[in-house]
Order: sequence, then structure tokens, then C-alpha cells
Amino acid sequence: MRKSLLFGLALLIWAGMALAQDRTVSGKVTSADDGSPLPGVNIVVKGTTTGAVTDIDGNYKLSVPGDANILVFTFIGMTTQEVEIGNRSIIDIAMALDTEQLAEVVVVGYGTQNKEAITGSVSIIDPAKLEMMPQASFQDALQGSSPGLQVVNNDGAPGAGISVRVRGIGSMNASNEPLYVIDGIPVTSGAVSQTDFSNGGRSSNVLASLNPNDIESLVVLKDAASTAIYGSRGANGVVLITTKSGKASDKAKIDVKARWGFADFAFNNLLQPLTGDQYFDAYVEGYVNLGWTEQAAIDQFWTQFPVNPETGTYYSTNWLDEITQIGFTQEYDVSVNGGDEKLNYFVSGNYFDQNGTVINNKFERLSARANVSGQLTKKLSFSNNLNVSNFNQRGITDGTRWQAPFYLAILMAPAVPVFDQQGNYYADHKSFFMGGNNPVGHLNEDKRELRQTRIIDNITATLEIIEGLSFKSAWSFDILRVDEYLYSNPRYGDGRNVGGFATEARTGVYNWLGTQTLNYGATFADVHNLDVMLGYEAQKVKTDVVRADGEGFAHPSLKTLASAANPTNAFSSRTQYAFNSYFGRVNYDYQNKYFLSASLRRDGSSRFGPDKRWGTFWSVGGGYVLSEEAFMENVNFINFLKLRTSYGITGNASIGNFPWAGLWGFGRAYDGNPGAAPSQVANPELTWESQSNFNIGLDLDMFNNRLRGSVEYFSRLSSDLLLNRPLSLTTGFRSVTQNFGDMKNTGWEIALAGDIVSTDDFILTLGGNITFLKNEITFLPEPVLAGTKRREEGRDFQEYYLFGWAGVDPANGDPLWYTDSTKTTTTNNINEAVRFYDGKSATPKAYGGFNLDATWRGLTVGLFFNYQFGNYLYDGPGWVLHGDGRFTPRSTSQYAWENRWTPENANNATFPQRAWGGNQASNTRNSDRYLFDGDFIRLKKVNIMYNFPNNITNRLKLRSLQVYVSLDNIWTWVADKELYFDPEQTISGFYNTVTPISKTMNFGLNIGL
Amino acid sequence: MKTIYKLFILLVMVFGVTSCGKDFLDLQPEQSVSDDTFLQNIDDFQTAILGAYDQMQNSDWYGRYFLLVPDVMGEDVKQNASANRAKEWAEYNGSAVDFIPREIWAELYEGINIVNKIINADFVPPDAVKAEYENILGQAYAIRAIAHFDLVRVYAQHYTYTADASHPGIPIVLQYDVGSRPARNTVAEVYNQIISDLQQAIGLMSIDPPNAGYLSKEAAQAIASRVFLYMERWSDAEAMATAVINSGRFTLVDSANYANQFLVGNSPEAIFEIVYNLADNPGSDHLGGMYKETGYGDYLPANDLLNMMDPGDVRSTMFLVDPNLSGIYGSLRVNKYPSAGAEIGTDNLPVIRLSEVYLNRAEARYRLGDEPGARADVNMIRQRCWPAAPDITASGTALLTEIQNERRVELCFEGHSIYDFTRWKKDVVRDDCTSIICTITYPNDRFILPIPEEEMNVNPNITQNPDY
Repeated sequence: MRKSLLFGLALLIWAGMALAQDRTVSGKVTSADDGSPLPGVNIVVKGTTTGAVTDIDGNYKLSVPGDANILVFTFIGMTTQEVEIGNRSIIDIAMALDTEQLAEVVVVGYGTQNKEAITGSVSIIDPAKLEMMPQASFQDALQGSSPGLQVVNNDGAPGAGISVRVRGIGSMNASNEPLYVIDGIPVTSGAVSQTDFSNGGRSSNVLASLNPNDIESLVVLKDAASTAIYGSRGANGVVLITTKSGKASDKAKIDVKARWGFADFAFNNLLQPLTGDQYFDAYVEGYVNLGWTEQAAIDQFWTQFPVNPETGTYYSTNWLDEITQIGFTQEYDVSVNGGDEKLNYFVSGNYFDQNGTVINNKFERLSARANVSGQLTKKLSFSNNLNVSNFNQRGITDGTRWQAPFYLAILMAPAVPVFDQQGNYYADHKSFFMGGNNPVGHLNEDKRELRQTRIIDNITATLEIIEGLSFKSAWSFDILRVDEYLYSNPRYGDGRNVGGFATEARTGVYNWLGTQTLNYGATFADVHNLDVMLGYEAQKVKTDVVRADGEGFAHPSLKTLASAANPTNAFSSRTQYAFNSYFGRVNYDYQNKYFLSASLRRDGSSRFGPDKRWGTFWSVGGGYVLSEEAFMENVNFINFLKLRTSYGITGNASIGNFPWAGLWGFGRAYDGNPGAAPSQVANPELTWESQSNFNIGLDLDMFNNRLRGSVEYFSRLSSDLLLNRPLSLTTGFRSVTQNFGDMKNTGWEIALAGDIVSTDDFILTLGGNITFLKNEITFLPEPVLAGTKRREEGRDFQEYYLFGWAGVDPANGDPLWYTDSTKTTTTNNINEAVRFYDGKSATPKAYGGFNLDATWRGLTVGLFFNYQFGNYLYDGPGWVLHGDGRFTPRSTSQYAWENRWTPENANNATFPQRAWGGNQASNTRNSDRYLFDGDFIRLKKVNIMYNFPNNITNRLKLRSLQVYVSLDNIWTWVADKELYFDPEQTISGFYNTVTPISKTMNFGLNIGL
Repeated sequence: MKTIYKLFILLVMVFGVTSCGKDFLDLQPEQSVSDDTFLQNIDDFQTAILGAYDQMQNSDWYGRYFLLVPDVMGEDVKQNASANRAKEWAEYNGSAVDFIPREIWAELYEGINIVNKIINADFVPPDAVKAEYENILGQAYAIRAIAHFDLVRVYAQHYTYTADASHPGIPIVLQYDVGSRPARNTVAEVYNQIISDLQQAIGLMSIDPPNAGYLSKEAAQAIASRVFLYMERWSDAEAMATAVINSGRFTLVDSANYANQFLVGNSPEAIFEIVYNLADNPGSDHLGGMYKETGYGDYLPANDLLNMMDPGDVRSTMFLVDPNLSGIYGSLRVNKYPSAGAEIGTDNLPVIRLSEVYLNRAEARYRLGDEPGARADVNMIRQRCWPAAPDITASGTALLTEIQNERRVELCFEGHSIYDFTRWKKDVVRDDCTSIICTITYPNDRFILPIPEEEMNVNPNITQNPDY
């Protein structure tokens, strides 16, 4: 069937290649305001995609089909003009500023819309932010740039994951990440990893394959009116990415961009390890406090640690310095953009090479793109967007694993040297000290590698059936292959007992999608504008995994499984899911004044049981442009005023592939024979999480567009939450996935920008946005424990539930806890205390960003800040790093050492008396001792750019030339002066010794040929 | 031309719709089998019972914590300086929020669910496989008995804590019910269920297993001898022990092969043990890793135990000198589970050995007044490890002490310590003590673990143990 279709298509293409007589039209476009030439104006032959763009002097030239007679001139901020060609071959026009509004076209689900016509809530990200970004993934550009989006770099390692929350957390157990759609394809996002490499998902990011320089438009859909068209996958918002396409022009435009950057840690108050002297003192003190004599402790010290022959005493290794470096990034990007009335192309190549702040931590990407579109006949056009990319990543194991560099850098004794006397990585401490881990050796000799190869292609054919009615057939695939390779050496660290071990894993994700849409647009009686879209879509995603493990490596240079003496594991798995959908949308407006829209989608998913497979999602929206009304005509200072509102139902199906089925799992083995056991509770009633979503907003432009803003209120009510509802453990299961519980997110979003100064050669703009967010569990019959938190009806989803830390007893250095939430009595026995809520949550009350941009002639200076307030952060490994000596004889931080209780420092101590084995042995429990205020403001970017003027570029025979310096994350303010880790590295509030975020200094050069 | 275009649209629409018919969304998992298609033939039952054995291998059951916790609560081990795992139970300051009580509870009940599925499956075996099916069913009953017995020992006071064993035990679970929120049965009810299941198992099993990694009729009898001992049903304990000893299937290994039986596994005296091989890859998570320098090395042998061993006793040689241990931690490590290198963590872990059956019988015989019989059994166990040991002549309480000491020396680090101390109603007095707590007097609420917080939150019918 598919073959015959392609054959038919080919026939049609051939048949449609009717040739028409062409002619050439040229001219100059100027500004009606001051007569200056306007570069970059789009000129299109009406009813076709044939067009051109004016050059730097406002000149254009294009070839016009014989039967065409209208040219459309469009330019952002100017009134669009339609000009009859007649017999003219030279058409000069002057374009006037559009004082009414900006006729900006915005990409929305399955189409585009004029910004003024949108009844829903969308965030449009400035594409300039995507050029030569310091991070590998475009997701970082979402941070702080638009209200409603909370964006967190989970891990500062190169190529690591980024979490995005659109208007809060809507789900308890299903994913809260938005749907990512690239050129119409819902693509695989998040982490694809079978090993420890991804550190639970935070360290790898399949979207890092996409070259941000290729992105033309980045839009986030936030409410039901805009996301309901994505039905069961719209509830967490949708990120729409459209890649660049070719623009018709006289000659190809070539852009060459290069950037070099240096990186160091952004946050200044990170924990520092002890010096050798401090560690020696801590070692002895820990035993003396147990009742040992000082001499006995010293004697024991020397049974464990070596003498440095150069100094005659113990070593004093600074492990943090040993594992870190100044990071270096280089990036080169070349793109070619051009075409004529028949064929347009955008071709690019990108090389991105980042060496992180940890030794041997790397990310290297090669990406190529070819986007081609063409008009085959008057009625038939096609496009193909192809992206091929490959990246290699070398990472670390983080968290509280023994190899985790930032964990070890504090815990590893300074008295352990990096190398032994033979020049090998020191390992003589393996019998008593964390498996003899050597963080430097681990980073140099062990492997944590991931390679991703990805092809994303989207091919479309569009046929205009009659004027206004077109049919589009789009076929896409997203093929992803991830290869992981982990190796631990046989001499020290995790591999020491088994002769070293290695893991190889290969994951293939094959995603295909077919989308058929009918579009109809017409204007009746000059005042009624109607736009109708109907569609059908099918998608299937298959994931195949192969993994093998082996132990026993004899030679240090042989690290692949071929050299493993004992193959210990061979594993493969296959799984798939499918979606099948019908959808439609109607947009109507009357005189561009009153807008109505409605959408409907019926989704079927293989993820749910046969009886619960299909769901219906819908939205309605309305807009009212008050500034178009006659009564507003005299209100001169208002240029544009619009009220819009929407309501609708979306869904969330981001959960495992067969959560409804009662299953027996077969991963088991006993005595070399396969076994099986019940692995999942049946729940055939399981279905989508649904979300009702209300939005109301006001858009306003004032004072000749010098002040622009919008205010929105939203309310997301998630119901039938996909919840892993705890069961009595006596059933043999811990939980069952049920539709159980409701949760509400409400909030305000405000964005404002103003041109404080606006003259011909100086523009100063101040802008900012803020989101106020409130989360509440509105229905949950049974509370659910979740680590440091407990989900309970009436509370914030992320509210902490902890023991109350009451400080240190000045009398004896004991740790103290409050016995209960009244905080009236304290105890040094945590078993006499209970956990309680204290009104502190990981959910921020407010977050956003603000910017200050100044342009003076060719010089642009931009400052961009992001911030977050009202959330609390929990130091996950705090109980180990600051365990008061619980882990003999691990080291600790300077901070803990300097603030510990001693008889001399009894009253100001914030850390209990240190004793090996721990003080009261109770610091393993989650208490607010490790909870910090998360408020921060960060200067995320300083950008200084100079555009060389025409007289220089002309002399150099260049179209344009820019140089810039950008500084990222160079300044951070935190409210909590005790905070010792980066404030923005966790979305759940739970920090887990990840690579700190970097500040970077970049130098760049953009050349236009 | 127009007709061609229309045809084109029609084609695409038809293609799109037909290619995605009903079965497009009807996908099946490829790594799992759905409930209603499993346990349909004898092979499925064989696979399921292996799943249950695999569950017993879990690091929270016989793999590690279930065996470690009762020993760290007793006198035989002391904490190393770096002790971290299970430390709160060694120090008697754990709580219901800690993970060990949660994991033991959850994993053992998961095991019960696996065997309940086997026991309750609606299956009529063809005659050709009837014996095989009943043998599997017998193993399922035995595992259910062992799981309940293990749970009731961890979470409830010992059988004779109250005169009629009416104190709270653990919920008996014989049926899968996703919505159940069971209350605790009394200890008496739990033990009756255990006995009933063991009797079922003994009646059903007729096939000798391929190795000691699988349950057999005699293994169920051996477990029953221990259960009756705990219940102080002395003559039943004696009878069960005698049945096992007289079965002729097991023989005690001699002193030359004694130490090796744990490393090699499947020794002539192994009645039931949990098999570990390379594919199980237990690494440092194996019980042995809790003691060894190559593992976490959290716990060391205490002199309280070492002093009970004669240098001529082969059991006193199952320790290694670690030069990195000094001072009070001084200088020995437990080497009962000595696997090393690529083979680390592959020692089989004993559930019950023939030597215990003799000692069960010795204790039962003593209580029944058969002191010569008791002395003979203890001599048998002692002299095979320490051939030069003189015959025991003690009687009365001195004999009881000999029996108890022999039991400690023989079964140390096999997960018996605190259960024997409590049923003997003895205080735990750690003379060689590195813990913050060195004496724990009997009776004590803290000799048992708390019902996990997760269970308390979900199950309104369950009661917490006192002092938690």
C-alpha cells in the first residue's frame, strides 16, 4: 500500500510540473517614516511560496510566474502591503509602521496563526537566544525568558538533562515534562539510558542532539486552547520547535559563526574539603571524643595512612582541586540559506565541543541539517527537513555512589595521596576507605561513555484542492540509537573485588508518525474569517535494548567485554506503544475584533486496557480586541488591547507502556534456571489523567508600542491522577497504578517590557516577567510518603515532612531535635521525636526573569537575570557529608569542621560534637537540618555585541560582521547564606551531589557572506 | 487533473485509516506475560517456584539483611568503626521509618504472594505430571511456612512471650487480595498456620531435589523441628529432628571439609540453602560482604563468641587477621563466607543444616529429660569439628549451657542469634563491645523490629509494636 502511494505521488509530481512563463521584478523597499532602506523585507508572490528578501540596501529581485499579479510585502512591525504588478518590472514601495499591532505569525499545533488571533496562552522565545548558546541543548534558552516556565539544569555536566515545568507540577507519578514537537513530530525526549550513566535520568538528554542554531521558532503552548489539539499528551504543555527554512534571495546567504568559551563553577559558596592538618585533627578528635587517648588515635592514624617522603608527614591532597579544571568549549556553525521561487533550501553544519569543569568530562556533537522546500506546481508543494547528528559524551557517576567525584572530593581523606610510590593511582586504602576509590584515577582510567546517533526527518506534500482548501500529508521519523559503555578498573574502586567490570548497552528508539490534515481558510463578506483544520494521525514508537556485562579484566589496556573472564549478564528487551488520533480545530473571527476557537481530539493509546483505550479532549477559546472598538479610538495611548480566555480538557498518558495489565515478570533466575513472579497489579480500569484548564489573559501595547505587556491567570485542575497508590505491603505489591487523586495549580503570569529610551541610534529596553504559582492536592484519601516529603490532601505536592532540627546542645555538643511541630521541647534521641510539616515546599512561590538591553548604533549590551523565590532545597547526601563522624574515617567539609561543637566553641556551634561512629547515631533521618531556603537571583547572561557598520563590511566584502563577548551565570545572589550547593540544580528540591552549574565566558564571531 | 488530485486525497485518507485498524493499538508486552495466560501448564509452575526461590535470594531476605540483623542484635558480633548498614538495629535505636523493617516486610510478603499464586491456581495436572506438580505445590507450602516463620520472628515477640502465645504476630496471608488491609494474627495463630503448611509440604513432596538449593520433604521436617523448638513442643521437635537424621539423606561433614562447605555449597550436611552463582552477581550485597574487608566490612567477630571456641576447633580457624584493624576493633574478620575475586558473593547461604537438626534435638531431649541423648547429640556436633574435645559430662543447667553455647558456636553468622537469646529469655550482654549500647535486658520491646511506616500509613487495621 505504501509503495503504491509513493508511486502515485511521484506520478502526480511529474504531472503537475506544468511550466509557466516567468518574468523578473525588482525594486527597492524603504521606510515611509524616514526613507531609509529596509533590509530583510519578505516579498511573496501571492498564492505561492515564491518570494525574496530585500538586501541590506533594501533592494530585491525576484522571478514571478507569468500568471501572478500580486506581490505581498511583509516586515515585522510594518503594515503588510499587497501590490498589483501589472506590467511593471520595477516596483519601489515605502512601508509604513504598523501602529495597530505587530502582525506576527506564531507556530501553533498543526499550523500557524497570527499572534493577534490566538485565544490561548503561548510563550514565544526570542530565537536570538538560541544562537551559539553556552549549553548543548536549546532547553536552557527557555529559562527565565517567558512566564509560566520553570526550567532547571539538573546537572552541570556537559550535555546533561534539563527539566521543564509548564505552570507547575500537574501529575504525581506520570511525567511532568512537556511534549516536544520538532517540525510536527512528537519526538523522544528526556534520558534514554540503560546504565548508571544517566544518573537516574539527570545526566543524559537526547534533545542535546539538536543544534539550537537551526531553530527558527521556539514556542511553548501553555493552556488548553493551545494544547488540547495534542489531546492525551497536552497536559504538561507543548514545546514546538520549528527549524529554519530557506528564503528566496538573489544569492545564497552564508553564515559562519564561531565561539570559544571558558567555564568555572558559578556558585561561590560550594563546600571545600579539609586540609591535611585539619583532617589529622579531625581524625584524632573523633577518637578522643570516644574516650581514646590522643596517642592511641595518632598511632592508629599511622597504621592507615602513608608518610609523604617529601615532607616527612602525612599527605595533604586537595581532592576537589585534583578533579576539577577550567572548562573549555568551542563551537563552529556554518549555514547556507537561499533559493528561488521554486526551490528553497537551508543547509547547516555544526560542531560543538565542550570540556567540562571535571577532568575528562566531555560532550562533542556533530550535526548536519538539510531543509528543502519546493513548489512543484501551482497547487502542489513539498518539503523535507532532515537532521542527522551524533554526539559523544563522557560523564561521571554522581549522587551518593562511592565513585561520585563531588561526593568523594569532600569525603576522601586528604591524607590519601593521588599516586603511590610506583606512580600508580593510590589504592592502599581500599580495605578501610570506601573501596579504595581514587577520584582522579576513576576519572582518568574508568569509563562512563555515551554515544547517540539520531536522524529526524519530516517529509510533507501539500496540495491546494481549491482556493482556500488544502490537504497536507506529513510523514516523519525519529530514529535514535544510544550506545553506552561503562568500565571500572580491577585495582581500586567498584571493580576491585571482581577484577574490574564493564557494561555495554545499546538502545534503539524507532518512532514513526503519519499526519494527514485538511485545512480550509476563507473570508466571507470581508468580515468573517474562518479557518478549519481536520486531521488524522498515527504514531508508533518501538524501543529495543541490548545489554551485556562482564567481570574479570586482566590487562589494564583491554577494557571491552571481549577481554572479560566472566560474562555476567546478557539482556535484551523490546517494547512499543502506539497512538491513533482524530482531531479538528475551528478558528473564527469577526473583523479581527472578536475571535473564537475550538478544538477537539480523540486519542487512542495502546498504553491502556482494551476498554479504556480512547479518550476525548477539547477546548474552546475566545478573544476580544478592545482596541479595535470605536469607543477606544480616542484613547490614543493604547495601541492594542486584547482580552482572551479559554477552557478545555487535556490528558496525560506519560506512563509506562502496559500499566493496566496484571503481569508476571521474567527477569528472575535461581540456580541458573529462569523464574517468574507477579510483577504488576492488574487494573483494567486505568486510563488517562485528565486536566481541566482555565486561562484568562490581557495583552496590552501602549505609548506607540513602547510599553508592552500581558497579564494572565491560570487554573489547572488535574484529576484522575495516575498515581502509584500504596498498597498494604502484605499483598506482595507496594503500589498499584490507579487514577486516584486531584491536584490544582493556579497562578498569575505577568510580562512587561518597555523602551525607556528610544531614539534613532539609542534604544534602551527594560523587560521582565514573573509567575506566581500555587499548588494544592485537592483530593487524596490516603497520604503518600515520598522520601523527604509526604503527599497529603490540602497541601502543596512538594511540601517537606521532616524531623525538626533544634541545633546543638551547648552543654555537650549533642544533636537536638524538636519532639513535634510545636517546637517547644527538644530531645537528643530522635526516636522521641516525630516528623511534621513546617509549611516549607520545593515548589517556588514565584519565579521568572528580567532583562535590560541597550543598543547604540552597532553596539548591543544585554543583561539577563533569572530568579526563583519561596522554595526550599534539601541536601540529600548531607547526612553523609555532614554526618558528624558517623562514617569512620571519612573526611568532611571545611564548613562542618569550622562550625562543630567543641568545649571552646560551645555556644556558636551549628554542628554536633564529632565522634567516630556518629553522634547519637541518628543523623541518617530526614531532618530540616539539611533544608535550605532556595531563593536566588542569578545574572544569567551579559552579552556585549558589536555589529560592524556597512562601510567596513563592504570593504571586507562581507554581508555582516559581529563580534561579541558573553558571560553566563557570572553572579548569583542567594537568600540563605548557609547554602553550600548551587540553588538551581533540582526541580524536586532534592539535591544529590551533581556537577555544579558553570559560569562561562565566551568570545564569538559571526560572519555573514 | 482534478480527479487525479481527488483520488490522491482519497488514497491517502483510506491508507491512513485502514493501516491503523483495531489491532494497531492492541500491543502486548514482550518481557512479561499477562496474568490470565500464566500457570496453565507444569512448566509455568516450575518457572513460578523458581521465581519464589529467587525471591528468597533477595538481599533483604536470605541474601543479606534477614540474616544479618538478628546477629548484629546479639553478642556474637561488634560494630566496625565504619559500620553503616543495619547499624541502628545493632544499636537498638532504629525506627519504623528506616528501610530495613520496610524491605524485609515487603520482600517476604512478596514471596508469600508468589507461592499463594501457585497454591491457589486453578490447575488439574495430567497424571503424567501429577507427582511433579504436587512436589512443586509442596515446595510452595514450605516457602509460605518459612516466610511466615521468618516474619513472625522479626516483627513479633517469641512464642512463649505470653503463656498462650496470644500476643500480636503478623498478618497471615493465604490469598491475594489487592484491597486487603489485614490486622495482625496472634503468634499462636501464625505458628499454627506454619505447622499446617509444613505438614502439607511434608505430605506433598516426594521427589528428591537436584541439590540442597531446593526444598524437600526432609527440609520441611528440619524446619518443623526448629519451629516446634521455638514453640517448646519438645517431643514434636525431637520427632521431626529424628525423622530428618534417620532419613539417611544427609551426613555431617568432617573437620577437614567443615570450613569449605560454605564456599563450595551443596555439602552432605546441607539440607536447604540458598544458591548463589555468578549470574546472581551479588557482589558486595551478599551477606559475606557485611563481614569481609573486600565488602563493606561493617561487622567484626566479638570476643564473647571467639572465647567460646577452643583453638583446636576448626570453627575457630574461620577468621582472618586484618592488619588494618587495631585497638578495640582488633584484628579478626569473619571468614565463614570466604568467596573472593571474580567469585565473590557466590557462597551459598544456609537456611538449615544437619548440625542444627542435631542441636534442635539435643535441646528438645534435654527438656524432655533425656540428658544422655542430649549429650550424645552435642558431642556429635562438637567432636566432628574438634576431634580432641572431651565428652560432655555436664547435666542440668550446666548441660543446657553447653547445648546453648554449642548452638552459638555452630550457627554463628547464620542469622539465629537474637531469636535464640529471646526464646532462652537471656539478656544480651556484650563484653567486647564497640557499640553505644552493651547490655540489653530481657524482656525488651526492642528485641523486635517495628511494623514499617508504609504499612502503618495504608493499613488502619494493623497495630504498631510498643516503643516504636
